[in-house]
Amino acid sequence: MRKTILVGGQAGQGVSKTSSLISQVFNNLGYYVFVYRDYPSLIQGGHNFNVLTVSDEPVYSHRRSLEAIIALDDLTIEKHVAALEPAGFILGSAERASHPRLIAIDMDSVSLPPSVGRENNILVGALLKLWGLPLEAGFQAAEEEFSEPEKIQEALDEGRQLVSLREKLPRLRNRKETYFLSGTEGVSQGAIAAGLDVYFAYPMTPATGVLHNLARQQQKYGFLVSQLENEIAVVNAALGASFTGAKTMVGTSGGGFALMSEALSLAGISELPLVVYLAQRTAPASGVPTYSSQGDLKFAVNVGHGEFPRVVVAPGDAEEAFRRTVEAFYFSQKYHLLSIILSDKHLAESHFSFDRIRAPRVKVERFFLEEADPDYKSYQLTPDGVSPRMVPGEGSLVRATSYEHNEEGYTIEEEEGTKKMNDKRWAKSPLLQKEIDRLQPVQTYGQGKKLIVGWGSTKGAILDSLADLPDYRFLQISYLSPFPSQQVMAELKKAKEVVLVENNVTGLLGQIIREQTGVAIDKKILKYDARPFTPEDIIQKVKEDF
Amino acid sequence: MKIEDLETHQKNTWCPGCTNNGLLLAVKKAIVHLDQTSQLHWKNVVAVSGIGCGAKIYDYLRVNGFYTLHGRVLPTCLGIKTGNPNLTVLGFAGDGGSYAEGVAHLVHAARYNADLTMIVSNNQVFALTTGQATPTTEEGFIDHSLPLGVKEPPLNPLALVLASGGTFVARGSALDPEHLQKLIEEAIQHPGFSFIDVLQPCLSFHQDIEFQRQHIYKLELKKKDDFSQAWEKAQEWDYNQKEKAKIPIGIFYQDRQLTWEEKWPQLNLPWYQKERPIEWTKVVEDWKWRKTKK
Repeated sequence: MRKTILVGGQAGQGVSKTSSLISQVFNNLGYYVFVYRDYPSLIQGGHNFNVLTVSDEPVYSHRRSLEAIIALDDLTIEKHVAALEPAGFILGSAERASHPRLIAIDMDSVSLPPSVGRENNILVGALLKLWGLPLEAGFQAAEEEFSEPEKIQEALDEGRQLVSLREKLPRLRNRKETYFLSGTEGVSQGAIAAGLDVYFAYPMTPATGVLHNLARQQQKYGFLVSQLENEIAVVNAALGASFTGAKTMVGTSGGGFALMSEALSLAGISELPLVVYLAQRTAPASGVPTYSSQGDLKFAVNVGHGEFPRVVVAPGDAEEAFRRTVEAFYFSQKYHLLSIILSDKHLAESHFSFDRIRAPRVKVERFFLEEADPDYKSYQLTPDGVSPRMVPGEGSLVRATSYEHNEEGYTIEEEEGTKKMNDKRWAKSPLLQKEIDRLQPVQTYGQGKKLIVGWGSTKGAILDSLADLPDYRFLQISYLSPFPSQQVMAELKKAKEVVLVENNVTGLLGQIIREQTGVAIDKKILKYDARPFTPEDIIQKVKEDF
Repeated sequence: MKIEDLETHQKNTWCPGCTNNGLLLAVKKAIVHLDQTSQLHWKNVVAVSGIGCGAKIYDYLRVNGFYTLHGRVLPTCLGIKTGNPNLTVLGFAGDGGSYAEGVAHLVHAARYNADLTMIVSNNQVFALTTGQATPTTEEGFIDHSLPLGVKEPPLNPLALVLASGGTFVARGSALDPEHLQKLIEEAIQHPGFSFIDVLQPCLSFHQDIEFQRQHIYKLELKKKDDFSQAWEKAQEWDYNQKEKAKIPIGIFYQDRQLTWEEKWPQLNLPWYQKERPIEWTKVVEDWKWRKTKK
């Protein structure tokens, strides 16, 4: 059983809130829920919609074809009715433009006084009835989602009385444990679990969610969230704080990341731990700011002038975002380097259901000495390139620098020392690779002999398309730097055919695979209309083209 | 401690006779004096330096150090204070880094009022890049990038910091290291953002030692928290080399306001000293199904 519901209206009409209420109803009934948000860059008016796919089996993406449309305005009907399945229906106020598929609800027949979201909640009540869902699930959801649930509950009850049963959806046995969270929440909670001390940021969609989510929790967990004057200040302050031993993270999207890039190079040479959350949106430049893209992969992998090792990890869903964020902290703290968590609007703002959240597989410690050493050298040469770390204020003199330097951290320009320090920084690479190889940098799903290759937020749509593509299995690559070349190579060799799926124009992962393994992937499904894939997009393309 | 403790083995690459030496001496003496009088511990001092001739002080001062990017001294300092409020943070940059590349940070550093000291080596020229005009270069100055001369009036950094809410605003002269040492000591002891614009002629690209010697006078204000008076005094010299110029040096303004560290309750200790055990299962609890959120 699977249903896809679209809730649409103008910004300010409560599309998101109504979508949350419906999500919660299905969560309470034991369904799996995936929610996609689509909204333009404005505060009031325009056209916002959420697409909810609910299922009795795990679901990680939204479908294109719809079983129900909840229309809060006429434009919603106009824009989405073409996607309505033959048995589908539109649910809306009788004031909506008439349409043969519209189940019109006469709002005037309801005696409830006007209130915020009254119409929305009446429609949700009607939806419950149409699909034979118990009112209690709605009541409970109202309690969970709203601070004054009574008004919502009344409206749900009223709505229920205005329609009759259309199709009875199965009552599912309650799952033991269920989590419902967005990629934003996965990253935020991962950072907290890793022991985040300070988060610096400047607002930028779609990274702002993490800023808000962390800010809200800073007192509860005792960390600090600081919004500074621009991204350049943000990243430099983060390095300053990291110098003192604080676990620091910054968050931004492409434009802000570009502003940070000089300081990311500084993180490289100064060997200061730093975690960067990069939530991609549609670029170049201001692009399509509230929409999704995977266009910054090579920017992340190559960011910063000069050469220095860094970690780039790209989670594929909210649960992975939690675990991978902890790993990003682990690598930055242990190897004194830059870790980038690569997400995007689709992953950040979509909500996912999971039966469980897996425990992080690494423990983030501070990894530094606290006893004073008069001969301490911040950049001491060691076989693995990792110098013992010390922080200022404990009696040893500690140095960090943007210039090439000797072991003590003083400026040098001579040949031998310069070469040695480059070798030192890159000596970390093999160790890093070894550790990453143990953390499932690549993962395959499905049994087919042919292979779909992807990374990041396309995971959901690809996974959900496999049922219709029995010849295919899916190779997800989660670590992009250092690149797990051997594991990727092994999977590519085994495959009868390889198809690349990416949410960008030129197939950036394909370029990296070619660079790292020598294998060129010719078959590509690339989507660059600022919208994420649905399973239908992939199924259709694979069947038509390959 | 002795002043020798602050010496490094690095070869000094400033031009012979460079006025940066006057500043370096004043900084060292201030640290020694404050350490000896238990106002600070020299091993808790962090020198944060930008890029430029003056910024080379990182290599010549043996304390904790962070040699950061051009123009980014202030956010780095803010981060250090945010990471460990117990450290004594001294920022060093030139007029190029402070008033051109990083001027936005100066405005905001004054607003934040973190307890740190910013010392700007103002030689009114980009020296390490061989002599181009900066925002404080006088009108008419000719260089390789401006053969037709500087067209804009100079920026007045003291007025800028005052207008931005700076709580300690001063001007010093590298030609008078003793006076400068006292200013630096007062700046370090001031709780909040302390700003010193240090005039230090560049022997290679902005030779105005004689002009400064003739026009500088010492400001001795009895009442330092008088903003109108500070504003007036800040306007007294416009950074042009006019015949009748009067250049006050000293503290223009000082006022006690809450510092960055005092405003944020989380900044009570260095982060690494805090005990904050966090269980990952608790962290995701709020997203568990049927967990009532409100």
